[in-house]
Amino acid sequence: MPDEKKKLSRRRFGRTLAQAGAAAAAVSPAAAQIVSAGPGQFGPVVVGNYSMVDEIRFGGIGIRSRGMSDLRMLLGDTRVKFVAIADVRESARENVKSTVDGYYKNDECKMYRDPAEILARPDIDALLIATSDRWHGPMAMWAAQSGKDMYIEKPGAMSINESYAVADNVRRYGVVYQSGAQRKNQFSFEFAVGLARTGKLGRLLAVHADTAIGLGTVDAGGHSWWPAETPEPDPLVMDWDKWLGPCLWRPWNSAYPDRGRGEFWDFHAGLLEWASHTVAMAQWAADMEHTQPVEFIPEGATFRGDGLIERYTIRCRYANGVQLILRNHTWGGLGSCSNRFEGTEGWVEVGDSGRIEVSDNLKSLVPKKQGTRYDPTAEHLREFVSCIRSRTAPRANADVTAHTHVTSHAAWICAQVNRKLTWDPAKRVFLNDEEANRMRGRAYREPWRAEALATSM
Amino acid sequence: MPQTPVPTQAPARTPPKPAPTVPPEFNALPIWTKKPAELVAIVKDPQSTVFQKAIACKKLAFVGGKDSIAPMAALLDDPELSCYARFGLEPNPDPAVDEALRTALPKLSGRRKIGVITTIGVRKDAKALDALTKLIDDSDAEVAGAAAASVGMIGGVQASRTLQTALGRAKGPVFAVAARACLLCAEGLLVSNHGRGMELYTLLSAETMPKPVRMAALRVLNAAGPAPEYTKSWPAPTGEAAKQDKSGFLGR
Repeated sequence: MPDEKKKLSRRRFGRTLAQAGAAAAAVSPAAAQIVSAGPGQFGPVVVGNYSMVDEIRFGGIGIRSRGMSDLRMLLGDTRVKFVAIADVRESARENVKSTVDGYYKNDECKMYRDPAEILARPDIDALLIATSDRWHGPMAMWAAQSGKDMYIEKPGAMSINESYAVADNVRRYGVVYQSGAQRKNQFSFEFAVGLARTGKLGRLLAVHADTAIGLGTVDAGGHSWWPAETPEPDPLVMDWDKWLGPCLWRPWNSAYPDRGRGEFWDFHAGLLEWASHTVAMAQWAADMEHTQPVEFIPEGATFRGDGLIERYTIRCRYANGVQLILRNHTWGGLGSCSNRFEGTEGWVEVGDSGRIEVSDNLKSLVPKKQGTRYDPTAEHLREFVSCIRSRTAPRANADVTAHTHVTSHAAWICAQVNRKLTWDPAKRVFLNDEEANRMRGRAYREPWRAEALATSM
Repeated sequence: MPQTPVPTQAPARTPPKPAPTVPPEFNALPIWTKKPAELVAIVKDPQSTVFQKAIACKKLAFVGGKDSIAPMAALLDDPELSCYARFGLEPNPDPAVDEALRTALPKLSGRRKIGVITTIGVRKDAKALDALTKLIDDSDAEVAGAAAASVGMIGGVQASRTLQTALGRAKGPVFAVAARACLLCAEGLLVSNHGRGMELYTLLSAETMPKPVRMAALRVLNAAGPAPEYTKSWPAPTGEAAKQDKSGFLGR
C-alpha cells in the first residue's frame, strides 16, 4: 500500500477523491453534504473533477431492455443523479425504480405514467429517452420545448419531415442532443473514419453502410394487424392509447408491446434499424454530415409487392460524385453494423467485432493490438454528459443525426417505390416524384403533434 | 474523471410470447397493392370493414388523387378512422384538401377537432387563420392550444398579431403553447420581415414568458448584438479621474 500511495498521480488522486465522495454520498446524507459543499475537508477541487461539485439531474422515459442497458451505464457516471421515470407500463416503471433505488440505496426515484409530468419538472436537467421508435421524434421535440437536454435511442425520427423537425426544435431551444449512435465513440470506427478524413485512402470513391436486416424480416407484418383482443388493459397497468401515441390506431393485442416494434411499418423505421448507425459513420467518413445524396437507385432487390424487401442494394450518389452504398449482403464478417470506406489509394472495413481490415498498403497504420467486441455506450453517454456542461454539440448531435436520418429515409422510400429517385438537399424534396414526396412525412394520430400538448407543460 | 462501474445486473426477463399470426381479415397486402380507383371504392363502400377502409386511406396518402378527398373527409368524425383519413389527406397537395378540412372543422369536437386543426397547421393553410384565431379562446384547453400551435405553424405577420394578442389574455397551459407558437412565428419572420421578427423575440424575452421560450429568445437577441441604448463605452480614466482610480491597474 505505501508504494501505491507514492505512485498516486494527480489524475488518480482526483479519481480517488471522487470515488470516496460517491461512496460517502451513498452511505450517509451528512457525508453527501460535506462532499457536495466542495472544498472543506478535501481541500480545493482539483483535476476538473466535476463530480465533486456537480449534479446533473436525469429523468427517464420508456426504459426497458436497451434503455436499461443505457441506464446502468449512465448511473456509473458520478456527475449524474437519476431521479424519475415515466412509462406507460407499470411493470417497466417499477423495474426502473427498483434498479435506481437499489443503486442509490434509497426510495427516491419518482414514477409517472405520463411523460408530460417529467417534462414539467423544472428540477430535471436531462432525459434518457428509450421508448419505441414511434415516440422518439415527438418526445425529442417536447423535451427540447421544455428546455431539457436528451440522450435518445435511435432511430430519432420516423420520417424525413420529423427528422428535420427534431433538429429544428433542438436548435431553436438550444438544448444538447445525443442520438444513441454509440459507435461514434468506438475506436475501430473512429480509426476507419480517421483514415478517410485524413486522406490516407486517397481520393474517396465510395462509403458502404451495412443495413443487414432484410426489411421483409423486420416488417413481416407490413401494414397488417394482429387479431383484436378484448378488453383493453387497465390504463394504470398498460396505457394502450399512450403506447400507440402518434401511430395510427389499431385494436389492442397483448403481443404488440413485446413483439410489435420490429414487425410493422407503423412502429418501425425499417431501413433505419441499422442505417441510423452505419449511414452516420459513412457520412462522417465522407465529410457529408451536413447534407444528403442527390440520387438513390435500388439495385438487385427482391420485392414483396408492398415495397418491403428481402435482399437489396441501394446505390446513392452525393453531389461531389462519392457513392454511398447501402447493402445487406456480401460483408467481410467483421460483425454487425459494418462499414467500408474505399479510396483511390486504399480501403478500410470495420464492424462490431472490433477488428480492422485494411488494404495492404495501410497495414502499418493499424494498431498491432486490435480491439475486441465491446459496447461503447458508456463512452458515448459520458460525451453527452460532458456536453451538457460545455453546452457544445456531441458527435451524434441533432443536426448530423437529421442528415443521417434523411439520407436513410430517402433510401428507404426509394426501396419502397422501387425506382430511381433524385433528391434536392437544399429544397428538401424529391424531384418530379409526387408519390415519394408524399412519403416524406407521417401524420400523427390525434391529439398528438410536434408541438407539445397544451396540458403537457 | 467519471467512473465506469456497472452498478447492477439486468434483472431476469421472462421471454416474450410467440408472435401471433396475421388473420386473413387483417392482411393488408391484398389492399395495399390495389389501384387508386379501387382504393377509393373501398373507402366509399359502406360494406367495407374498418380495417379495409383504414388500409385504403393509408395507401391513398401516397397515391390518392382529387377523387379520394371527399370520401376520406367523410371519415374525419369517425372515432377509429379519423386518424387514417387525416393520414390520407395530409400529404395530398391538392388545395381541395384544405377546403375539405376547413368545412369539417366547425362540425367536429374534442380529439377529432384537434386532429383537423393540427393537419391545417401542418399544411400551412393561411385561409384558415380566422377560424383558428377564434378557437384560441375555446373553452377546451386542448382545442385552444392546438389552434395556437397551428397559427404558429402557418406563420406570417397576421399569425404573429393573433398570437401576440393571445399572449395578452391566454392563461395557464394555453399561454405556454401560444408562447412557443409565437417563437416559431418569430423564426419564420426573421427572413420575410426581420423587424417584426426581432420585435417578437424581444417580447418573448420578457421574464413573464415560459423559461425555455425566454432562453430561446435571448439566444437570438444575443446573436443579434445589444440594442444601441444598452451599448456603453469604456474610456480609460485620465486626469483627475485617473488619480482617483483605486483599481490598482494604473500603476499605483
